[in-house]
Amino acid sequence: MAVSKAKSAAPDARLAAIISPVGGKWASEARKSALTRLHDMGLPTRRDEYWKFTRPDELTKADATPATLLETDEKPVFCDIDRLRLVFVDGVFDPDISDQMAMEHVEIEPLANAAEKDIHWARDIYGVLENSGQSPVNRPLAALNTATATQGMVIRVTGKAPRPICLHYVRTSETADAVVHHIVKVEAGGDVTLLENGPAAARINKVLEVDIADGGAFHHVRTQGRDHERRAAAHIFARLGTESSFKSFSLTVNGALTRNECVIEILGDNAHATIAGAAVGDGKTHPFHQDDTVFITHDAVNCESRQVFKKVLRNGATGVFQGKILVKPGAQKTDGYQISQGLMLDDDSQFLAKPELEIYADDVACSHGSTVGAIDADALFYLMSRGIPRAQATDLLVLSFLAAALEEIENEEIRKDIFGRLEAWIERHRN
Amino acid sequence: MLKIENLQVKLEEEDKQILKGLSLTVPSGEVHAIMGPNGSGKSTMSYVLSGKGGYEVTGGSATLDGVDLLAMEPEERAAAGLFLAFQYPVEIPGVGNMTFLRTAVNSQRKSRGEDEMSAAEFLKVIRAKAKSLKIDAEMLKRPVNVGFSGGEKKRNEILQMAMLEPKMCVLDETDSGLDVDAMKLVAEGVNALRDGKRSFLVITHYQRLLDHIKPDVVHIMADGRIIKSGGPELALEVENNGYADLLAEVA
Amino acid sequence: MTALDTMKAKDGVDQETVDAVQSVEKYKYGFSTDIEMDFAPKGVNEDIVRLISSKNEEPEWMTEWRLQAFRRWQQMDEPDWAMVHYPEIDFQDIYYYAKPKSMLVKPKSLDEVDPKLLATYEKLGIPLKEQMILAGIEGAGDTPAEGRKVAVDAVFDSVSIGTTFKDELAKAGVIFCSISEAIREHPELVKKYLGSVVPQSDNYYATLNSAVFSDGSFVYIPEGTKCPMELSTYFRINAENTGQFERTLIIADKGSYVSYLEGCTAPKRDTNQLHAAVVELVIMEDAEIKYSTVQNWFPGDENGKGGIYNFVTKRADCRGDRAKVMWTQVETGSAVTWKYPSCILRGDDSSGEFYSIAIANNYQQADTGTKMVHLGKNTKSRIVSKGISAGRAQNTYRGLVSMHPKAKNSRNYTQCDSLLIGDKCGAHTVPYIEVRNNSSRVEHEATTSKVDDEQLFYCRQRGIDEEAALALIVNGFAKEVLQSLPMEFAMEAQALVAISLEGSVG
Repeated sequence: MAVSKAKSAAPDARLAAIISPVGGKWASEARKSALTRLHDMGLPTRRDEYWKFTRPDELTKADATPATLLETDEKPVFCDIDRLRLVFVDGVFDPDISDQMAMEHVEIEPLANAAEKDIHWARDIYGVLENSGQSPVNRPLAALNTATATQGMVIRVTGKAPRPICLHYVRTSETADAVVHHIVKVEAGGDVTLLENGPAAARINKVLEVDIADGGAFHHVRTQGRDHERRAAAHIFARLGTESSFKSFSLTVNGALTRNECVIEILGDNAHATIAGAAVGDGKTHPFHQDDTVFITHDAVNCESRQVFKKVLRNGATGVFQGKILVKPGAQKTDGYQISQGLMLDDDSQFLAKPELEIYADDVACSHGSTVGAIDADALFYLMSRGIPRAQATDLLVLSFLAAALEEIENEEIRKDIFGRLEAWIERHRN
Repeated sequence: MLKIENLQVKLEEEDKQILKGLSLTVPSGEVHAIMGPNGSGKSTMSYVLSGKGGYEVTGGSATLDGVDLLAMEPEERAAAGLFLAFQYPVEIPGVGNMTFLRTAVNSQRKSRGEDEMSAAEFLKVIRAKAKSLKIDAEMLKRPVNVGFSGGEKKRNEILQMAMLEPKMCVLDETDSGLDVDAMKLVAEGVNALRDGKRSFLVITHYQRLLDHIKPDVVHIMADGRIIKSGGPELALEVENNGYADLLAEVA
Repeated sequence: MTALDTMKAKDGVDQETVDAVQSVEKYKYGFSTDIEMDFAPKGVNEDIVRLISSKNEEPEWMTEWRLQAFRRWQQMDEPDWAMVHYPEIDFQDIYYYAKPKSMLVKPKSLDEVDPKLLATYEKLGIPLKEQMILAGIEGAGDTPAEGRKVAVDAVFDSVSIGTTFKDELAKAGVIFCSISEAIREHPELVKKYLGSVVPQSDNYYATLNSAVFSDGSFVYIPEGTKCPMELSTYFRINAENTGQFERTLIIADKGSYVSYLEGCTAPKRDTNQLHAAVVELVIMEDAEIKYSTVQNWFPGDENGKGGIYNFVTKRADCRGDRAKVMWTQVETGSAVTWKYPSCILRGDDSSGEFYSIAIANNYQQADTGTKMVHLGKNTKSRIVSKGISAGRAQNTYRGLVSMHPKAKNSRNYTQCDSLLIGDKCGAHTVPYIEVRNNSSRVEHEATTSKVDDEQLFYCRQRGIDEEAALALIVNGFAKEVLQSLPMEFAMEAQALVAISLEGSVG
């Protein structure tokens, strides 16, 4: 099922032109095998069911469409948080403007270095989780990433990291087409927070592979957007061990195209996974298309997963949610929850959703809900009757709509930071 | 007559002994009360008697009029005359209360080789009984226990008891969560069923229920066994002094 | 199955369920009738299509219409997106036309119908003969005191064997006849509406049906008419290796109303049989159609051998403003079900409802749901789907709710619940939600859970045995859908729920 024959036969100039970079033994092998599977599955097309709501053309074509740089005096997010900062300029790691890559309980190494070695622990994760996530649905852009990435961070966490690690992306070029691949290995009992922010490139293809051993904890908060014209395909592949915990939150504002795929495999008993997102899009000056595609596999007993996605859309913005909970035979006592909601501020926008359940175990409690609609007129009237002007009342209701997604961020300081960003954005985009 | 002898029970999933040699006899027509601190095994006893899953009987026996209860399926025990008034009555969405009860009444009759009750007869009987328990027609139509208040649920349990006419009634903390008026109503319902032949085993934390349902014998249960039995005065003693003294006596 | 007059009140319905569990044998309808059949040769080609057309004494335009569909079909591929798996179907190994020999000379009235056929329908619980006698009595007001009258069109393998109450319906201006008769007698209506809701090339099975459909029912309710009785069709596949391709076309003209019931059975066979029907509903301004189905095709045995492949296209087109349609289905049969009764809400203020119970036990596979396509303003739709999986069955709800930009102020509410009985079965939910305006509101909720042990124990403590308790709880779970069925169907459906779940506990 993982490979579609029809597509691999289709001539694809882009595919033929891809050459895997040469590196150390393990990296070369991983890239080569990724290239093979990419050739087998072919690049996504508009006809693919998995791309029903999002056109992949801009992500698959040979050269990235240039994207203007956004001039802004807004301070970068997370700048007030005590963090270890690693800076990527146009998708390339720049050690000179980054913090020292040293912290207690954490080993950090650029992918470029690790890939040069013949033997490295990264071998057991790099492209391995991605490959495992290729079934039952193909994710060719992730395979493309594994096959070609030379940039990224390789992080190993052995205990509780004293402060968050922040991957900070900076753009200087209007045409940069970046491929970045990070891997994080959380050892038993390890605990780390990973932050990501900033516009990475005119077009970015990003993969993050996270392997969490028994009892490990991984927190992830990222902001995407800022630059209106940039396009992004970001994949997260996570593998969860016994009693481990995975929590990821994404904020998307702006961006002509954002496709976030998150593939989580829960393999150990009593584990927990949360994936949440808030997206606000205004198509007034630039197109906005944001897509969250989530696939959670429960393959262990007594695990919990939560998906919470909220999208606020106006002026022709499009919000997409495709979320699936797969409960494998024997994954008893699974608690799977999923909510996706669209708030449409005008008549031009669209919200497209496909929330799926596929369940092969009986002792489970799984549910999903999805709602789409406009601002609640009664609530708006109530606020206005208390003297709050319409525009401000609308803002308040938008923030209250988004709140449930933001609550999934555990760290209060980070949550407040994100909340402030949202408030500022909403204020800027008041009608 | 309910006869429990040296009953030993542990949880199926964890290796935890709950009943540790429980012995108890409730002769026909008598009302016995069981009191005891939390975790002494009172509810477990009621579940094991009625055949709920999750428990493993590791020793001892329980018979109703000489019939081995433990060897039967739950519905067979019910047909044999055992009724459990649940501490937390279960909600069954979509199934009408009346339909449920009629199904139960006729299932039991059928398994005892008796004729089924006709719809008309059933309606007549249930209306009369419901009235005395202040259960209105609306409540009979609603799905089983769904949206019922605590008091309504308990009254509904007593109504079922009245309709099913069991030999042996086990009331598991029927007074919990009830105000004084509701408790009186429930007690009246129970007392109306005392006919000199039917037996009752009333599990409770509080003496106050026993003011309304007068027991012949009071048992004190602790750590999976009966540690003391006596007359109604035993309940008053517990009410005034707590369990500490009694526990110390046997320790 | 349960005679109309045995039912006194809805209150006793659940009791019937319980009785059914205890009394009804497995797949009661699994008998076959030994009747001499007239078969066309196996397989399908243009000659067969022409043969079917000529056997039905069809006009040239109809033959051409069929051939056009057949040519399309040859260029199409079988769809594979549903979550169902079955061995490849050899479409050339199926009889496309089977007709009881006694029907070769058309009976003048039902009295001339082969008594064995009538006996078959008696076994199915359709009081056909009885109603036929009633229909023969001259004069109005002959409705029996108990129960409502239901006009029945019975389709046996490929051919309609007779329609009851014809005279009385004719008085009201209602046309209720077999589609083959309609093609001959009412060509202007058929020409206008056939294929107008489900186009010839809609999908693989619908296109095949367009080419080879042999019979089915036709209903026309004239403007302002409330159909004086419920209409019903009973479909039965009898002969081995036949496909049944019936075609139903119902037109409710302005301000009219009709309630239509459809029942299906088939005998037990080791081999799989194909059923690919098309149902088209046309609903004009202020008109309303209620369409209820109890689908009880043979589901295959405990080991998954045999059973019907049920690939059905059903669609309602609310063409006029304030048009209403309600689909209710109880799907307990078939080895494989592929079926999505849909509503095109074209008229402003039109509304569509879909109530479904799908039960899959043993090795059954069901992939069923609906499409609600909102095109007009202020349109409303409601979806209530209750899926029950037991044994090794797979049960999928697949649905689409689409709010087009012009469908301002429209509403959809979807509730989609799955119940699992045992740890070898599967329950899946695949909804598509597409909203393209902001004055509309869509709400979708879905849950999956197992039968609650506490509920089972509570019932058993009151003396109800496990199987009966399960039937009771499952019927409670599906209550909302059962309540939307006409009363006599509700009873049959409740009993079916119980029968379908036999052997799924313990």
